[in-house]
Amino acid sequence: MRNQVLILPPAPPMPARAAPGWMLVLAACCWPALTLVGQLDPQHGSFARLVQEVQPKLVKIYGAGGYVGITDYCSGVLVSPDGLILTVYSPTLDSQELRVHLYDGTRQECDLLAAEPVLDAALLKIRDGEKKFRDLPLAYFDLDRPTPKVQVGDWVLAFSNCFQIATREEPLSVQRSVIAAITNLSARRGIHELPYQGTVYILDGITNNPGSHGGALVTRRGELIGLIGKEVRNTLTETWVNYAIPIEPLRDFVSKARSGNYKPLERKKPIVEDRGGSTGIVLVPNLLERTPPYIDEVLPGSPAEKAGLRPDDLIVLVRIPARDGSGTYEEHVVQSVSQWRDLTLPIEPGARIQVVVRRQQQLLRVELEVERRPDFRPKKPTGEKAPAKL
Amino acid sequence: MASGKSVPPRCLYRVVWLTVTGLLFAFLARAVEPQVLEEEARRVAVIEKITPSVVAVFDRQGRGGGSGVLIDEQGYALTNFHVVQPTGPTPRCGLADGQLYDAVVVGLDPVGDVALIKLIPPRPDFRFPYAPLGDSDTVRAGDWSIAAGNPFLLATDFRPTITFGLVSGVHRYQYPSGTFLEYTDCIQIDTSINPGNSGGPLFNLRGEVIGINGRVSFEKRSRINSGVGYAISINQIKNFLGHLRGGLLADHATLGAAARTDEQGRAVVFDILERSDAYRRGLRVGDTILALNGRPIGNANQLKNVLGIFPKGWRIPVLYERFDMEQNRTVRREILVRLMGLIPREVVEGREEEKPQKPEEKAPEKKPTPPVRKPIQPEGEGAKYYVARPGFGNYYFNELERRRVVSALPRVPLDARAVWLLHGEADLYDEITGKPVRHPFTARLDGRTVRLRLGSLQYELEPLRVGEAVANLRQPPGSGGLLVALHYWRAFLAEQEKGFEQGLYYLGYEPFYPDGTSQSRMWTEVLYGKSGPFEIKIFCQPERKHLGGLECYPEEDADPCELIFSPEAEAKTGLPARIEVRFGDRRWATLHLHKCEAEMP
Repeated sequence: MRNQVLILPPAPPMPARAAPGWMLVLAACCWPALTLVGQLDPQHGSFARLVQEVQPKLVKIYGAGGYVGITDYCSGVLVSPDGLILTVYSPTLDSQELRVHLYDGTRQECDLLAAEPVLDAALLKIRDGEKKFRDLPLAYFDLDRPTPKVQVGDWVLAFSNCFQIATREEPLSVQRSVIAAITNLSARRGIHELPYQGTVYILDGITNNPGSHGGALVTRRGELIGLIGKEVRNTLTETWVNYAIPIEPLRDFVSKARSGNYKPLERKKPIVEDRGGSTGIVLVPNLLERTPPYIDEVLPGSPAEKAGLRPDDLIVLVRIPARDGSGTYEEHVVQSVSQWRDLTLPIEPGARIQVVVRRQQQLLRVELEVERRPDFRPKKPTGEKAPAKL
Repeated sequence: MASGKSVPPRCLYRVVWLTVTGLLFAFLARAVEPQVLEEEARRVAVIEKITPSVVAVFDRQGRGGGSGVLIDEQGYALTNFHVVQPTGPTPRCGLADGQLYDAVVVGLDPVGDVALIKLIPPRPDFRFPYAPLGDSDTVRAGDWSIAAGNPFLLATDFRPTITFGLVSGVHRYQYPSGTFLEYTDCIQIDTSINPGNSGGPLFNLRGEVIGINGRVSFEKRSRINSGVGYAISINQIKNFLGHLRGGLLADHATLGAAARTDEQGRAVVFDILERSDAYRRGLRVGDTILALNGRPIGNANQLKNVLGIFPKGWRIPVLYERFDMEQNRTVRREILVRLMGLIPREVVEGREEEKPQKPEEKAPEKKPTPPVRKPIQPEGEGAKYYVARPGFGNYYFNELERRRVVSALPRVPLDARAVWLLHGEADLYDEITGKPVRHPFTARLDGRTVRLRLGSLQYELEPLRVGEAVANLRQPPGSGGLLVALHYWRAFLAEQEKGFEQGLYYLGYEPFYPDGTSQSRMWTEVLYGKSGPFEIKIFCQPERKHLGGLECYPEEDADPCELIFSPEAEAKTGLPARIEVRFGDRRWATLHLHKCEAEMP
């Protein structure tokens, strides 16, 4: 039995000598391992104590939203003793009246210092925080300390105000997870591509729920390693992705933003190339944010007319050649006039596509060949309208 | 470090020893296997221990169902109300032994979403495996938890599915969904629970039940685990266990007062019903509620949360604070408040068709009514143990519990048909000074009329005579109705349930305060009698063979006359040597019994 080695026989006294330096070094080396042993809670590995330590560093954020799909609440982490709050960039922050609830239940008004969609980060500041917390500084995550390195398979804890379960002094929800993958985010939120395409931690727990965004991902020692992301779906599988963005790339953002020197990154606008194809379908005017793709008019003699499409048909689905040029096809649910435009403009004339429309209570699938617009002259690509500013 | 100086040999020896053990620890910690294996073995052992107690609940057609957990060897099991609602009164239950058992619904708590069922033992000597109940107030966010049940009705051999996860939050409040159902003071978990897990147990790592799983948060995603599940805390269920065992349709409490959170984050009363006991005890608009049953209240949300764990009718201490203008200071006061019910009386007693006499009084409350469903007929072995009755989950079990309590109390050796004559002395307490003044008293109780001679004054009343004025029912003045209370005390001792025109029922556990302060709290089992316009609550301690007290309500929404019986008994009859009479916030009198005799008419 290995454990029996611990029972050491008494050794004879040794000649008086100074403790060699290497022994101290050795003892120092052993220290982390010893503290690890200390972390093993006698309560069968409960994280209760750690949870209590982390909770005061978290806030509940209240801002804009409140309609379907967009919550008016989210989560955030304190990164300074005077009330700087780091969270992810989201429509929730698009409000003149940002408020946070601190761990002790007090309500504080906040200002947005900087927001960076490319980094998926935003920094808020509690109004008059320097004065308010001069005598009683807040608990916070110190971003000047090195972030521990994490790898796939590591245990982590996720803290967030999912479903707005907590208000005021009620503590945030804590969930356990394992880092399942460290990869680039290729996910989408609704129909919009997410501006953030950087590295993410993919988690095996269901951490990304309504209002979870901006919550803290911490190690089993309570060190901040990431911010919980938004509710997004994988573009390929349409499944929900549970992810967090690493804290490391946000250090620079925080240090610049807190001193007011942050300049938003130039963003490459997604480009929709017009290849001059035409189907002869004219949709209703694009008046709403998501105008339903009803056919307004079918040009005489066009492929659409030949295929039998009629005004008032509602386009539901389109099957087009894959945009990666692989020669395969991909199918898209068409939810708006602008989406139809984005999907069909880049199609080469001559390509065959399938369109599913709803006519009264029927679904009809038609096939048509995209023809070349006679007036088309290839020119420099048109930039897509910039995504609505928050 | 300075190496030139000499170090005492003992010290050096210690350094070496520490280094070696340190290294060993480091080695053991790096090679995690023993630790992991040990934890794993512990989990496996717990799972093996709890598995036999987990129940798969089905309807009789085997189409739908949920989960449950056995809590004693007689076969009583907890599940969700919403699980047994579609199964009807006689569900079928599968255990991990692969056997299917007949079962019967015992008691229901629709607001708390809890139901107690009883599995029918196949043989008289059969003992069911069961899980012990834990203490959910010791559960903390960050603790591990184990959920067991039958998600998606997967198990055809009824062996439960086990999931493992973290407690995400405690003392959570979840708003009513649909009608009454409300999760107060519940446990939030990331432990995976799915359809079919409903009613199943949540365990701590000691294998004790800390909650009943029942609800999941979801929005855009489908009705499956979203990482956010809720379990009803077992401590709340313990408060209702008496009601459930007694086959009742339990109701949760309200204070009769509404509070909102002020700028300082305190719960301040902004509305109060004048007919509530809280109002009669002195709570007013503007008062700040500081604690409920000893639990500090920080804001209005917490008040709602803590209040929801109590059954209707419980009397609990409320600590509040008020700024006294005259004294120019803040005063704190603790009051014992009888909690009101959440569900309107008409619904509970199944007399929905009766129109309330004063509709304008009921209107402002706007309480939802539970959906009316076509009753499902009882079938199988369980049907033998099922008696339907409005206001009850299963009346069979109410009778069972009532008989148990009544038979545990000692019989009084006075003839039921006889006239009872009680002689003694009464200390009447002065309304202002509280000083007692002693008078001789005689009470004559014949089962129909009550006569009381108190000093030079004489009172007489026939409680059940039609058309008696309320003021008369409250005789003697200031006692709140001692004559009626004595009448029903005799009725209970002499005739038990036969002494109550509309019956005597078992009402579960309730706290009882013999000296009117929260410090004197003891636990009693309550019998509830109805007779004419009177409601009578009898506080019993069957295990001590003691009748603790009696409350007699001559009218609705008003204070009762309280009798508190001393444990010391009069030698001949076993009747209590002292009876304290209370009304409202006041002790009215103490009756010292010297002699009790029965006289045949």
